[in-house]
Amino acid sequence: MSTTAWIITLQFAGVNALFALGVYASLWTGVLSLAPIFFGAVGAFTFGYLAATLGLPPFLGLVLGIVIGALLGVVTAGIVIRLSSHYLAMATIAMVLIGRVLILNLPEYTGGAAGTLIPGDLGTWPWLIGVLVIAGFVMSRLAGSRFGFAADAVREDPAVAQTLGVSPRHIQLVGFILSGAFSGAAGVMQASFLQYIGPDTFYTHLGFVTLAAVVLGGAFHWAGPIVGAVVFTVLPELLRDVMGDYDRVVTGVLLVLIIIYMPRGLVDLRRFRLLRRRSRGSEPSGVSASRESANQEVLS
Amino acid sequence: MTTTSPGASGAVAPAVEIAGVTKTFGGLTAVSDIHIEVARQSIYGILGPNGAGKTTVLNMISGFIAPDSGSISVFGDEVTRMPPHRIARHGVARTYQNIRLFGGMTVLETVVAGAYMRRSSTIGGALLLSPGERRERKRVRERAQALLEQVGVRSAHDELAETLSYGDQRRVEIARALATEPQVLLLDEPTAGMNDAESKEIGELLLQLQASGLTLILIEHNMRLVEEFCESVSVMNSGVMLAQGTPSWCLEQDDVKEAYFGKSSDAARIATLRRARRGSSGS
Repeated sequence: MSTTAWIITLQFAGVNALFALGVYASLWTGVLSLAPIFFGAVGAFTFGYLAATLGLPPFLGLVLGIVIGALLGVVTAGIVIRLSSHYLAMATIAMVLIGRVLILNLPEYTGGAAGTLIPGDLGTWPWLIGVLVIAGFVMSRLAGSRFGFAADAVREDPAVAQTLGVSPRHIQLVGFILSGAFSGAAGVMQASFLQYIGPDTFYTHLGFVTLAAVVLGGAFHWAGPIVGAVVFTVLPELLRDVMGDYDRVVTGVLLVLIIIYMPRGLVDLRRFRLLRRRSRGSEPSGVSASRESANQEVLS
Repeated sequence: MTTTSPGASGAVAPAVEIAGVTKTFGGLTAVSDIHIEVARQSIYGILGPNGAGKTTVLNMISGFIAPDSGSISVFGDEVTRMPPHRIARHGVARTYQNIRLFGGMTVLETVVAGAYMRRSSTIGGALLLSPGERRERKRVRERAQALLEQVGVRSAHDELAETLSYGDQRRVEIARALATEPQVLLLDEPTAGMNDAESKEIGELLLQLQASGLTLILIEHNMRLVEEFCESVSVMNSGVMLAQGTPSWCLEQDDVKEAYFGKSSDAARIATLRRARRGSSGS
């Protein structure tokens, strides 16, 4: 690949990582949702419309995307959270389909089938890296927080989480808000890089790529979706150089292999912990020694 | 949290009161018109053969199952048909017959996850690196370590909880429940899969918890443990209450014996069958 091609590919990897974080934020609370694609679409088209009519400055555009996404997250959660797992997932897929219908039927705002042009001010490395760093910071802070443990608990066993005083609905609502904020930002960034968006920009293809990135990268740690998005965006481009049109076969096979042999994805804290346990050995002296050190920690 | 709530008569309300509770699943009556009153700071046993409806009773106290009729109160507050997380806020915590630990979490993380109700930090605090949130993380970890020591978990605290021995997994579950700082602890077969020495340790832990002010309700098959540690028990069979009172008195009752060991006439018949089979096999 040429340098320009690399740069473009990595930029899309970054935007896909943001979308993947949007999917992950819901999945963290035990909700499989493709709504991030819809949130991104609404954020991007609103940004495009306002930029064209009011001349919105880029930073405000980004904030707007985040706020719109988060608000849509609240509304969506209010409507779909009562549904049980797979019905909820289907409802969010329906949102992606409805989004396309809306875009086609509101031509005065969205440009309809012809699409619309977007200013490219935000489509630069500093903005992308800045947004990604903030997103990563937010997730890493939340991971060890009160909310983070509650989200883990709700994902692993909502009934047990409830007996610990956690309201799954409440945690899932927060998940949807986070999901909306990440995806709203992702939508604005995607639009700014492409500088043109149409009815097919935020559609099922993006949804499946994003979902695949989360599954491949790991749905149990926030770094998983980022790794997955980068691998899953860069790899097909690399393969295309060598294999031409067969790159999709290879990525498909790879996805299946990862699902079979690494069902929790590339970034899997549980596997690291199991490996560490194995390398530590299971001799009893090691266990009692570590217990003593734990004792000392408590006493000190 | 309410510790005393004056009842109608001015008397102190029991820790848990189950009044005329019935639950049917389709055609099967799992629990039929059960009355149980658990005094504060007591160790109460629920006994009975498999399928007696014991776990259904616990599931109704913790709110997993809503009773068809009757009412359940905790410290005088009615909790019937409340969602489980609200019942938990009334001070009810529990463990499970088939251990339910969170996948992928270490021992310490599992107990920290239990402390949700005892933390007050917000998402904003976590994002803005507030010193209060950082102190809370430290406090919760230290408390979790102390609880793990108290319940006697022998494994390292950074091990995956799901890889622990059966007995330690049960202890981690108890520590997770204790992290909610409950007033009532429901234990569903806490010593299942443990040897005598380990069961004894659990019994002593129960006494220790009782002394610290907890009310304990346990489902248990280990009769030695029940006789030694429970003040009073309920014996159930097929969803019906057979006997209530002290453990030794209950176990003397004829219908209780029958529920556990079958009818004495059946016992005689089985003995005859065994003899006949031994005779026919020719040895």
